[in-house]
Amino acid sequence: MTEPAMQLIGLKKQIGSKLIVKGLDFDIQPGEVFGFLGPNGAGKTTTIRMMVGLIRISEGDVRIQGKSIKTDYKEAIRHVGAIVENPELYGFMSGYKNLLVFSRMIPGISKERIDEVVELVGLEQRIHQKVKRYSLGMRQRLGIAQALLHNPSILILDEPTNGLDPSGIREIRQYIRRLAEQENVAVIVSSHLLSEMELMCDRIGILKNGELISIQQIQNTEEETPAEVVQIDCPAEHHEKAQRLLQEEFGIIAMASGEKLTFPITRAEIPSIIKALAVADIELYGIAVERKTLEDKFLHVIGENVIE
Amino acid sequence: MSNFFQLVRNEQTKLYSQLATWIMLGILIVVVLGFAILMRTADGFVSDYDDATWKQQLQEENESLAEFDPADSNILINNYRIENDLKPEGMTAWEFLYQGNYMTSVLSLLTIIVAGGIIANEYRWGTIKLLLIRPATRTKIFFAKYASVLLFALTALIVLFIFSWLFGMLFFGLGGDGSMLQVKDGEVVEISVWTRIAQDYGLQLVKLVVWATFAFMISAALRNGALAIGTAIFLMFAGTTVIPFIYDKPFAKYVLFSNLDLTQFTTGMKLIDDLTLTFAVVTIIVYYIIFLVVGWVLFVKRDVAGH
Repeated sequence: MTEPAMQLIGLKKQIGSKLIVKGLDFDIQPGEVFGFLGPNGAGKTTTIRMMVGLIRISEGDVRIQGKSIKTDYKEAIRHVGAIVENPELYGFMSGYKNLLVFSRMIPGISKERIDEVVELVGLEQRIHQKVKRYSLGMRQRLGIAQALLHNPSILILDEPTNGLDPSGIREIRQYIRRLAEQENVAVIVSSHLLSEMELMCDRIGILKNGELISIQQIQNTEEETPAEVVQIDCPAEHHEKAQRLLQEEFGIIAMASGEKLTFPITRAEIPSIIKALAVADIELYGIAVERKTLEDKFLHVIGENVIE
Repeated sequence: MSNFFQLVRNEQTKLYSQLATWIMLGILIVVVLGFAILMRTADGFVSDYDDATWKQQLQEENESLAEFDPADSNILINNYRIENDLKPEGMTAWEFLYQGNYMTSVLSLLTIIVAGGIIANEYRWGTIKLLLIRPATRTKIFFAKYASVLLFALTALIVLFIFSWLFGMLFFGLGGDGSMLQVKDGEVVEISVWTRIAQDYGLQLVKLVVWATFAFMISAALRNGALAIGTAIFLMFAGTTVIPFIYDKPFAKYVLFSNLDLTQFTTGMKLIDDLTLTFAVVTIIVYYIIFLVVGWVLFVKRDVAGH
């Protein structure tokens, strides 16, 4: 096992008497796209700000390539490129001048590297225009360009597709995947667009009230979890019998509403349940299988969107 | 160290990429020009001395000066001129430059505006988040910004010199090498251009640096540019007015305003009787260090949270 790109060790943030982040422990591996998901006020931004040293850590630590952000800030932060919240750059300067200013803060960035990054994010045509004339999408691209200037091994992007048009979103998504797969960069993205996260991330950590309540592996979802919701259509007088059967034979609680019964099962169980229902002479008029999306899972895991 | 130099260079790049900076320097030039035109056109500012009658003119000047204050040092200087056959040059480019030391209050104003904005603006623009996630410590960034403020003050001072001299040349002619006569310990002595500039401008610049540092502290500590600029300008102009109310209190001599005007020691018109030059200088340095340390500590310690 290689060294994790980033480690969070019992990370806590307390403001006044209130714990905003209640002890996060997890690793992010090189070449992995890690998604940070959570409702507003869950502590996403606070956590990201602690990762880059903008906010003091109350307890615990963040290690970047084994270097503590608390005690070895300079060595730790040089591996990180980030956009925290919106890509806010100097509007009165050209895109190129913005990159030039940031490049001077880290030794060893050549003019060629700046040109390379500009080409990478596709801003060649407009790079010498003032940033205040940029659209949000162009700012987002410039933001990513400044984050990539120093070839970081960890890229932190807050809402990276915010304000981009669909083709821009696809481009950024492909670009993030390419960085992770080919250059072994660990990418941490936060987003509230769940479908977006599903397409982009390898793992998604769900944060609620300052706690990490679940880490979902994206590729494995189909096998692992009881992701299916089955709805059968049968006359109401058969409902009681069907519910009893499901409960006794399969341990499933089915909900009745109108003519329909709804219950969650795994994909593998579907044929045997249909058979059992048919054998028991329950009249089936239809059966519908819904795949649970990440969104359902997300809402399932975090419960109602309550900010405490 | 090269790292620090790059940070200062960045701050300068950002500063001069803003239109506002150029407008401020433009205002400075316009003020100098206005001052020159005013002095040229208004009566009584510029006295021309005739080759034939200048000695007589100086005698008359002495008589009218003596009516107000027989100890006026100008009388000694005029007598020295008559005895040594040194015709006064009247208004020259050099003289205009010296008079321009009052222009340092405009300079202070501009420097305070720059100092008050240089950190607070980064917070307002949101760029602080990109600035502080680089391998440069907050301490380095803080002092690079401070150095950049002082560099701006120096640049503006040079602009002031150049244009004062230029407009002075244009409106009054060069005339002489810029040296002048001054009374020192009852003797009339000739002092050179640079001594005079250091003397006229130096004491004014002390105020400039102190109030710019104050504005910089507020900017770093409270992240509010308007507040920083407002309080610094207010204290700079209104601060000394509290002295008459507190001058007899024991703490009065420890108040910054009592000490800040160092010209009180060259003119002898002290604000508080038991002040000495050394005491004033030490007090100013103590305040200056407090301003810097408070700004620095708060800038380094405070979290950069959301808006």
